[in-house]
Amino acid sequence: MIALQREIAAAPVAPVVLIVEDDPALRTLLMRLLREEGFQPLSAAHGAEMARVLETNSVDIILLDVMLPGSNGFDLCRSVRRESDVPIVMLSARDDETDRLIGLELGADDYIGKPFSQKELIARIRAILRRAQGATQSSQPRGHQQMVFAGWNLDPGRRELLSPDGAFVDLSGAEFDLLLAFLSSPQRVIGRERLLEMSRARISDASDRSIDVLVSRLRRKLAVSGQAEALLRTVRGVGYIFTAAVERR
Amino acid sequence: MKPLRLWPQRLVGQVTLVLMLAVALEFVGSSILFENSRIYPNRDNQVRRAAEQLVVAEAILEAQPQHDRAARAAGLAARPGEMGWTALPTLVDRERAAERKLKDQFREAEPSLARRDLRMNAEIDRALPRDTHLKVALKMRDGSWVWMKTRIRAAPWAVVLSSFGSAFILGLGVIAAAALVLRNLSRPLRALAEAADKVGQGARIRVAETGAGDLKLVAKAFNAMQDRIAGLLQTRTEALAAVGHDLRTPLARLSLRAGFVQDPAAREALEADVNEMTAMLDSLLAYLGGQEDPEPPRRTDIAAIAMTLVDDAVDAERDAAYDGPEHLPVHARPLSLKRAISNLVENALHYGGQARLSLVRDGRTVILAVEDDGPGIPDAELAHVLEPFHRLDSARARNTAGLGLGLTIVQQILKREGGELVLKNRPEGGLRAEVRLAAL
Repeated sequence: MIALQREIAAAPVAPVVLIVEDDPALRTLLMRLLREEGFQPLSAAHGAEMARVLETNSVDIILLDVMLPGSNGFDLCRSVRRESDVPIVMLSARDDETDRLIGLELGADDYIGKPFSQKELIARIRAILRRAQGATQSSQPRGHQQMVFAGWNLDPGRRELLSPDGAFVDLSGAEFDLLLAFLSSPQRVIGRERLLEMSRARISDASDRSIDVLVSRLRRKLAVSGQAEALLRTVRGVGYIFTAAVERR
Repeated sequence: MKPLRLWPQRLVGQVTLVLMLAVALEFVGSSILFENSRIYPNRDNQVRRAAEQLVVAEAILEAQPQHDRAARAAGLAARPGEMGWTALPTLVDRERAAERKLKDQFREAEPSLARRDLRMNAEIDRALPRDTHLKVALKMRDGSWVWMKTRIRAAPWAVVLSSFGSAFILGLGVIAAAALVLRNLSRPLRALAEAADKVGQGARIRVAETGAGDLKLVAKAFNAMQDRIAGLLQTRTEALAAVGHDLRTPLARLSLRAGFVQDPAAREALEADVNEMTAMLDSLLAYLGGQEDPEPPRRTDIAAIAMTLVDDAVDAERDAAYDGPEHLPVHARPLSLKRAISNLVENALHYGGQARLSLVRDGRTVILAVEDDGPGIPDAELAHVLEPFHRLDSARARNTAGLGLGLTIVQQILKREGGELVLKNRPEGGLRAEVRLAAL
């Protein structure tokens, strides 16, 4: 937490978060929470209001409720995506896998089922903002490209990993984020601290040791007849290197 | 199909008609049989007639000149027998009991044969009905021989039918016919009973609206009832699911408000309450929505799922372990499968305090076992724990976060994946829950 606050203090301007939620009480609570956490919240009760806010403000991230009066969150997500790359987090009362997939395929960056805790929400928002920042810095194209390495296939949009024989391999959120971090800087040594930062959103107890545990779990899941050791190699005293080439399609 | 108008529509009419037909059939059948039984003479009569034929033939041939006799004799034969004349004897008497008995019968029937030279050869069929093939020769007064071949029918069925048996067989026939017809009548009833049985287990069966008028009405009412029940259930399910979804927004508010509570103990308690309510809602919605899960089945690594769940439990400082291969693909819906295994792990951690997962492939079956050292489930309860909303006795259920749907959902999910859930109490104590799925 100390590290987080320092980072925010260093940030020149507070990120602008637009909350699109039709429940007034929830809207108020979210506003309060985000303000306290150092964001600059804006709110809208429905799609038309959202459009008005977007016209007059530059927004860093949108929290979008799925069930809205009039056009629902999916429609709004699609229409926002036509014009901008602003990160979108869907909030839904239906913690339903199809809804999640629809949201992510329409271009949402994350999907949170209600109810969620303050910590969880803030952590996800920070992670997405960080990812968006990283993406603009390294000018990597965002969107839902498949990442292919050593026969494995990772779909960041659907958050799915397929093994070389085409089987769906379940990853925890933290494992997924860690793998994504490796895949975005392949064949380069990444320090433990950097890895920690890149996948911090999902790790409750953030320490060097937890990264080592996470890497060993990831290794086990990527193990295919001895290939694993080679995919994620330990660089003594520094961190890890992901050895395979990553192809984006 | 438009049945004949004569066929009565009501059940009473149909049964009456069948009985009337049976009686009529019995009547017609027995009169025909009794009539027939008179046509078929019994054995004694046949022997008597053969003796008579022989004597008559001799008398006729006696009046003929010798050169005409052979032709004349052939003409005298009564079908299907044969008759002939020879100057010299052609038949050797076999002198067995059968021949002696027949000779006696011949002589008794025709006393004129008493002191005559009579030769016989009787062959009895080995096969049923054991007819007798009889050859008999008679020495004429001039020393030449008249002979005949004939068949004495045993005709046992005629004998049987002519007496008690005929009525018996006919009766059986009529009963069989009536049973067949009545079975046809009862088929719709049986179909209805079977359907009712299956409907109780959750399936929806359309009963064919056929058969007698009354039965058609029953089938129609049954189908309508099913539609109403299904509609009712659907409405209730939707209402319950809607409430479940609607509850998430106030829960979300509560969860956020909890974060603002200053007192850490109160905040944690509030968060725990929200989590418990969320878990209940999740299991309720999983149970209600389980049938309409749109997730397609696909090649899924069950080992990875088991590892993720064990790692999550370990991160939460629970006692969990996984023993098995790093990869083992099955064909299933990954999220459903994960929910099922997660429920078993939760149960093991909750009731047993630890969860040991082991994964093996046994021939065509993949077995993922979740074991704990808890108290297990009393044998009497094993069958009931899979029923929805069932919970073990209050002492053990006090801390339960769920609604008693955990195992029900597991079974529901595995059934849909073509697998099964097997619960066993371990001899060492504790429960062993097995997820069995077809191997790829």
